[in-house]
Amino acid sequence: MNKSGWMKNFLRVLSLCIGLSALLFWVAPSRPANTLEKIQKSGYLLWGSDAEGGAPYIFPDPKDPSKLIGFEVDLADEIARELGVRPKQAQNAWDSLVPALMRGDSDIAMNGIEITPQRQKEVLFSEPYYIYTEQLVVRKDEEAIQGVDDLKGKKVGTLSGTVAQDILMNMGGVDVKIYAGQVEPYEDLAIGRLDAVLLDLPIAAYYAKPNPKLKYAGPPVGEGFYGIAIRKGDEDLKKRIDEILDKLMRTGRLKAIYEKWDLWNEQQEKLFLKAGGTEGYVSLEESKKAPVYTFFPTLLKGAGITIFISFVSMALAVSLGLVLTLMRLYGGQPLSGIATGYIEIYRGTPLLIQLYILYYGLPNIGISMNPLTAAFLGLGMNYAAYEAELYRAGISAVPKGQMEAALSLGMTRGTAVKRVILPQAFRIALPGVTNDFIALFKDSSLVSVIAMVELTKTYSILAASTLRFFELGLIVALLYFAMSYPLSLLARRLEDRLKRSKR
Amino acid sequence: MITVRGLHKYYEGHHLFKGIDLDIKKGEVVVFIGPSGSGKSTFLRCINGLEYFQQGEIVVNGIELHSINRLRPDRKDLENIRKVRLKVGMVFQQFNLFPHMTVLENIIEAPLQVLGADRTVTIEQARSLLRRINIERKAESYPEELSGGEQQRVAIARALAMKPEAMLFDEPTSSLDPEMVGEVLSVIKDLVNEGMTTLIATHEMGFAREVADRVVVFDSGDIIETGPPGEIFTHPKTERTRVFLSRVLKR
Repeated sequence: MNKSGWMKNFLRVLSLCIGLSALLFWVAPSRPANTLEKIQKSGYLLWGSDAEGGAPYIFPDPKDPSKLIGFEVDLADEIARELGVRPKQAQNAWDSLVPALMRGDSDIAMNGIEITPQRQKEVLFSEPYYIYTEQLVVRKDEEAIQGVDDLKGKKVGTLSGTVAQDILMNMGGVDVKIYAGQVEPYEDLAIGRLDAVLLDLPIAAYYAKPNPKLKYAGPPVGEGFYGIAIRKGDEDLKKRIDEILDKLMRTGRLKAIYEKWDLWNEQQEKLFLKAGGTEGYVSLEESKKAPVYTFFPTLLKGAGITIFISFVSMALAVSLGLVLTLMRLYGGQPLSGIATGYIEIYRGTPLLIQLYILYYGLPNIGISMNPLTAAFLGLGMNYAAYEAELYRAGISAVPKGQMEAALSLGMTRGTAVKRVILPQAFRIALPGVTNDFIALFKDSSLVSVIAMVELTKTYSILAASTLRFFELGLIVALLYFAMSYPLSLLARRLEDRLKRSKR
Repeated sequence: MITVRGLHKYYEGHHLFKGIDLDIKKGEVVVFIGPSGSGKSTFLRCINGLEYFQQGEIVVNGIELHSINRLRPDRKDLENIRKVRLKVGMVFQQFNLFPHMTVLENIIEAPLQVLGADRTVTIEQARSLLRRINIERKAESYPEELSGGEQQRVAIARALAMKPEAMLFDEPTSSLDPEMVGEVLSVIKDLVNEGMTTLIATHEMGFAREVADRVVVFDSGDIIETGPPGEIFTHPKTERTRVFLSRVLKR
């Protein structure tokens, strides 16, 4: 076996990976000046929305989970058709949709976004396309709560950043529990963790109405408008969308969508005049019954993205870690101080916070990157700190005499490190690096917070719309295990080999 | 060939060398003896720059090493040290073969990497060196598969592959099993007979007596006596030498 051969190959693969990730940097999209022109040129309308727990707005079709359905999907189809382009969904967490739109991740954002004065300071809104009300939901056996006036001292769940939240907060004396998804409050209400849930009527109609344990309490309260959010400066796009909405209302196509999804009510009369037919509505009951194999293609796609993110991030971590170690051990001041600081800061702060700062924080100071680049960088830079520590341990485990022997043969320090020290240090560090790869692999689920739809995010989207947390959870766990177990076998074999040879 | 003038060195906080002077001629064989910790190893390591010193100068083959007392020597110091190392081979007590390379790779590594020598020629020369030390058949083995005596012989061959003008041996047999000492000493003896300038720190008194042109006795960082082996071993001039010799020869 040629032992220096694998080093060479390793370095070759490494440099390739560095090159690839550098490339990703350069191709990160820049924000065009005019969104309407961009849409027409690219042929796509990129609309920001959150498919996680998004029924009946937007959610995966239980019959074919790779397809998204919902009344807003239908609306997006109609708008795109009128624009002469194809719709494309841009996934983001619901409470990040407006910030994501502002930074250019999507052309418009449409996902039950209420028109509020606060949001109007940040973005433009189209004319309203739906009049929502807030519906209070309680358990079937609840007697004490007849309406919103009976909520004093009660535990009431709602969604973060909604108008319902503002209503509850302003009432005073209500114990408001804030949720990130719209499924979980109803689940918690049904098992008694909450006394009531106040949410937009479309949500209640989809999740609470079919649930035999729950019932509506009192008439809907409040009234507001959903509007399509558009970036400031895109006045011509807003004008175009308003024209389209007007056309859809006048021709009855919008009403047809609402009737299909059982969302039509008298309030909407204020927006509409004419009507149409109804078919193709998918109920929660149907989602719950879909055979489990229908979810596999979607889950496997998520798994593929997880693998891709893990490999690129690990390549970045391995190479950046090496640079950090060399800086720390052989760089002298100030390089070694910088490397030490980097390692301590990255090891001493949560990866989640690092990801938030990278993706949502940096745009505040003018540095914006796409979710994939942010995922690579976030994971790679974090794990680089751990790899650096592993290499350092490996290097210090190489006997001092090795460096002295290399120097005494006339090698420079650099040659000695490259030819004598590092090959031995790598071999010592290798099992640890493999173990870290397994850990990174699982930590890659954290990038779902920065709008990456990888395996874990795919799971939460599917589970939230079907409520099948248990069986889908087991399948996803199994998928993770199937991917990480070969890696642990590899790690064990490397360790054994290391033990057999003395060094 | 090697001149040491007024060498001062602080070692782990104490003043070890307090002004050492020594001249070594080309082709001379000098053996350094003395109790453990007396400074004979450190002295050898100063000559090829593995240890820095605080005052004085060492001239090897016309290349001057001045007191290199900074934590980070500057570029010119480092260049000079490296030039010295190209002319002076070193063999360590712990062999220090590169464990991730075969015997042959250990030997050709420095000529290829440092001198940029031709690969085929270098391999040919390495094989003839291995033939000389009689372990040609182990050329493709890894160091861990070799006995201590074999490893030390390979270490000598590795140093010789750089075609040095002088060799430093730092207690070359101290970590060997007794039955392997002879094979290593005989390789060194061959080298001495070919006229190599050789500096050896050792506890092998019989060997010292046999090969040395001159014996240098170290004690607590001082050279307490120097002279031809016959004189040192039979009529030591100082009491400290006499005490040291009687202690080691009794064993």
